[in-house]
Amino acid sequence: MSTNHTSGAGSATHAKKAEIFCQDEARVDWHSKALWMLREKRDRAASSIPEWEQLRELGSQLKLHTLTHLDQYLEEFEKNCHANGIQVHWAKDGAEHNQIVHKILAEKQVKKLVKSKSMLTEECHLNPYLESHGIEVIDTDLGERIIQLAKQPPSHIVVPAIHMKKEEVGDLFHEKLGTDAGASDPLYLTRAARAHLREQFLSADAAMTGVNMAIADKGAVVVCTNEGNADMGANLPKLQLHSMGIDKIVPNLDSAAVILRTLARNATGQPVTTYSAFYRGPQTDGEMHIIIVDNGRTDMLQDKILAESLKCIRCGGCLNTCPVYRRSGGYSYNYTIPGPIGIAVGAQADDTNSIPWACTLCGSCSYVCPTKVPLDKIIHHHRRLKAKAGKLPYGKRSYMPLVGNFMASETMLNCSMSVARTALRILPGAVLKPFSGAWGKYRELPIAPKSSFETWFNKNRGQ
Amino acid sequence: MSSKQSILHALKRVAVEPQAMPEINVSPRLDDVIGQFETNLGAVAGTLHREAGLSGLQAKVDELIAQGQQVISTVEGITGNRTLPETAHELKDIDYAVIPGDLAVAENGAIWVNNKNLGHRVTPFICENLFLVVKADTVVANMHQAVKQIGLESGEFGVFIAGPSKTADIEQALVVGAHGACSLNVYLT
Ligand code: SF4
Repeated sequence: MSTNHTSGAGSATHAKKAEIFCQDEARVDWHSKALWMLREKRDRAASSIPEWEQLRELGSQLKLHTLTHLDQYLEEFEKNCHANGIQVHWAKDGAEHNQIVHKILAEKQVKKLVKSKSMLTEECHLNPYLESHGIEVIDTDLGERIIQLAKQPPSHIVVPAIHMKKEEVGDLFHEKLGTDAGASDPLYLTRAARAHLREQFLSADAAMTGVNMAIADKGAVVVCTNEGNADMGANLPKLQLHSMGIDKIVPNLDSAAVILRTLARNATGQPVTTYSAFYRGPQTDGEMHIIIVDNGRTDMLQDKILAESLKCIRCGGCLNTCPVYRRSGGYSYNYTIPGPIGIAVGAQADDTNSIPWACTLCGSCSYVCPTKVPLDKIIHHHRRLKAKAGKLPYGKRSYMPLVGNFMASETMLNCSMSVARTALRILPGAVLKPFSGAWGKYRELPIAPKSSFETWFNKNRGQ
Repeated sequence: MSSKQSILHALKRVAVEPQAMPEINVSPRLDDVIGQFETNLGAVAGTLHREAGLSGLQAKVDELIAQGQQVISTVEGITGNRTLPETAHELKDIDYAVIPGDLAVAENGAIWVNNKNLGHRVTPFICENLFLVVKADTVVANMHQAVKQIGLESGEFGVFIAGPSKTADIEQALVVGAHGACSLNVYLT
């Protein structure tokens, strides 16, 4: 097993953690390439849809509309869920979420829970909580199962085991599942996992999934997977639970259609996920519970710029395109969610105050985002918030008072982002490199776009 | 204050100005929807049988049964060798399931399946291989049109299925057949 990856929970700066990852140059190149492949597939899928930009705009607008009417939609959603025989629970934070889940499971004396991928339950640290209460939790998405067996957190939100080589998975499965020693063929390993997980599905007492969308006017939740693990899970035992952040609400099926068209295309380049399942009530004699979670989201909504990060549909596109993420690995971000969106939603919790600087402000993330989350603007805003709070990370203090003031000015915001881009283009690498931290020590700096995509688009294509 | 109340209360103070709901009006591509469907189904690793019809499907099913495969059908006019069991768990040794789809989507190869036609909800996932039967006149251009037509009554479950189950979680190598069906054949009628 690789020992290069430390858990996301530690408190080293992004640069320190990236430095660990950067030591293995071959792995960094391989990691970067694997993710860039996803980015290329995404580009092909996006350009095959003539209305792609229209869908991005619609996605952005409908999410903004929903976020600015969330109280109404959440109440409508709850009312309609009740009418469909679904039980709804509200949790203000991760701890309350976990308690609610445990209470439901304990009442039914659940011993084994099968789970499908959910960044929210990661965010709430549900697994260790349930395990400490004697409930066996089986993550059933293949990538999630791999890292669960390896006792690691996810390093990517869509492909959680992207940092692992097939030989490492082979060794792990040999040890845990009894596959042949030295076997590393992905087909063989996937089949072994299929057989192992079938046993788990068939013997589970309850299932839990995340939620891709919650449809207010139907009282239904949508769950998307390629493997079918969420549906194998939820449709076997009689008890199904779904955890969702308050930001997962969309008004109606028409909105869901817009997002279903961009989600998979932007994530992996597929036209749609293999399974997009709509649950509008429990199975016969079954029980269905939905836990609606805040955990800091209402706080984010009180900041005009941070609020827009809740438009995110967790496609992972911004991670795949990010030159820093690709070369520093998912474990360097001090948060469950890495990459640009991880900075956007996790920077405030980062006690090293370093992750807003794990970004070149190249703007590539904002350009690929299917709901137009203004990631570079948000990340820049986080720098400003850190500067204002006097929480600049170690090593940036010497030059940051000046830069900090510069960034703390709202009117300079867009301007300074274009300065960053210009700097990347015209300054010699030797001048910039000392500022780029561990990453630049081992790599060349990226070629920055001449302008942000918005500027380019407005100039060249906009009306 | 309950958590619900405190969340709803906090939501009264969203910093962003209220935004209007956009009108969702995306023009569909109506040229050769069946051809588009076939291409996209292929792209998601499914296979379309355009000409065989129900008789072709029954012949295929008979052949599979002769080979000793376990086949269950919820499509009228197609007979397998297994009947619907009492519990969902008893479906675990089904080799092939034959299920009707309500409609198909040209832009992405997805087929909408509703639990009214499944026996147990888990049928299309637990079977080793899946046959879906779709009427040619139910193929729509895109998801916007599809959601206008899907039936999803209170208490129900429905799913868009686009190809066989798949994963690329080990070094990005695409493997068909993760937890759900390992193959998908679609018969057009
Ligand atoms: S911020 Fe945008 S690109 Fe990044 S994961 Fe969310 S939706 Fe995808």
